[in-house]
Amino acid sequence: MSQNLHERFEQTVLPLIDDAYTLARHLLRDEHDAQDVVQEAYLRAWRYYASFRGGDERAWLLTILRNCCYTWRGGRRDAEHVPFDEELHGLDASSRYAADVRAVDDSDRGSLEAVLGRLPAQFREVLVLRELDELSYKDIARVTGVPVGTVMSRLARARERLRRVLKRSA
Amino acid sequence: MSQALHSTHEALSAYVDGELTPDRAREVAEHLTTCMQCSAEYETLLATIAALRANLERYQAPDVLRARVRTAIAATPSISEPAARPEGGASRRRRPWVWQGGIAAALLVSAALGSGITLLASRGRTSTPDVAADVLASHVRSLMPDHLTDVRSSDQHNVKPWFNGRLDYSPNVPRLEEQGFPLVGGRVDYVGGRPVAVVVYSRRQHLINVFSWPTRLGDAPLGVTATNGYNMIHWRSRGVERWVVSDLNASELRSFTELLASS
Ligand SMILES: [Zn+2]
Repeated sequence: MSQNLHERFEQTVLPLIDDAYTLARHLLRDEHDAQDVVQEAYLRAWRYYASFRGGDERAWLLTILRNCCYTWRGGRRDAEHVPFDEELHGLDASSRYAADVRAVDDSDRGSLEAVLGRLPAQFREVLVLRELDELSYKDIARVTGVPVGTVMSRLARARERLRRVLKRSA
Repeated sequence: MSQALHSTHEALSAYVDGELTPDRAREVAEHLTTCMQCSAEYETLLATIAALRANLERYQAPDVLRARVRTAIAATPSISEPAARPEGGASRRRRPWVWQGGIAAALLVSAALGSGITLLASRGRTSTPDVAADVLASHVRSLMPDHLTDVRSSDQHNVKPWFNGRLDYSPNVPRLEEQGFPLVGGRVDYVGGRPVAVVVYSRRQHLINVFSWPTRLGDAPLGVTATNGYNMIHWRSRGVERWVVSDLNASELRSFTELLASS
């Protein structure tokens, strides 16, 4: 029976490693950190897999992964130029916009990447969870631990911000 | 009628995602048919989302990460819930799941490893117990279905080049089929915090994993250990550390190792 547990983990959770790695890369923006955190998240997921009550494995795994990312980041906050938990409304909108424009001017290539990097992690994560993982708002809310309404507004604002960038670089 | 009530950017965004209630969605849909301003914003939003989906980077987990994850899981028990245990009740005992077959052996072995490994380690402060445990966990893990090889081939001309670009060195892949040890394939695994080459041979129904990686430590003679039905042979020569692991009997594994070491 526990053999089944291991097999089930192999078949349903392990294949999600690209999704986990993608979110970790976007959140941590470092290849090696992302690898370490994915390994840690998988180990946690496996240790507690027996208590997984069913439902969407991907949302469950990404929840664990996200927590590991934040814990990881918490220990090395000083290493990042933009505070990890920076909230967008805490900043003056026009200076933010100026930063976006500068980022676009800085490099022709990868301007989306550059601006993404300047977005607070909370905005990067809703973008990845929605546009790449195609999770429902309810699942995104579960993964990020905020109400559905917050997911809705963060996502709308993140898209709005990226719209300006994509338009300029088009 | 709803001309004055423009849709907010947030409502449009949720509308695109199909996350509005049916009533709200109908309102927005109706409004979009009549309001040029909002339908223009809606078109822009659709284009933005399409561009995001096309441009947001989707990363692929590297092979070494997959291997690391598998190795870590193979060496770790899952925690069962007290409530879910049949014998649970008052005894709130947390017992790790015990796998059957090969994986159970990995657990037993990692517990039993201490003794054998101290021997090796005391001999010349060579490899840490972690390395031996990793090697063994990796071997046991490889016996699970579909985990033995990343490249499956009995031809060394397929296996050896496969490692190029995956590792910063290339393992020896001698042909030993005529001596009764056909090549099975190769994979990249993770030992002691680094990616290593594993070349797999077989003998009858037994599988032999050969781990190798470059080292700066000096040469060391063959060290043999037996733990829970697995034989491990370990040595270093000319800047390469090697571990041979199998459930093959010790004398045949020894012959294999000597062939390998001399080729
Ligand atoms: Zn309108």
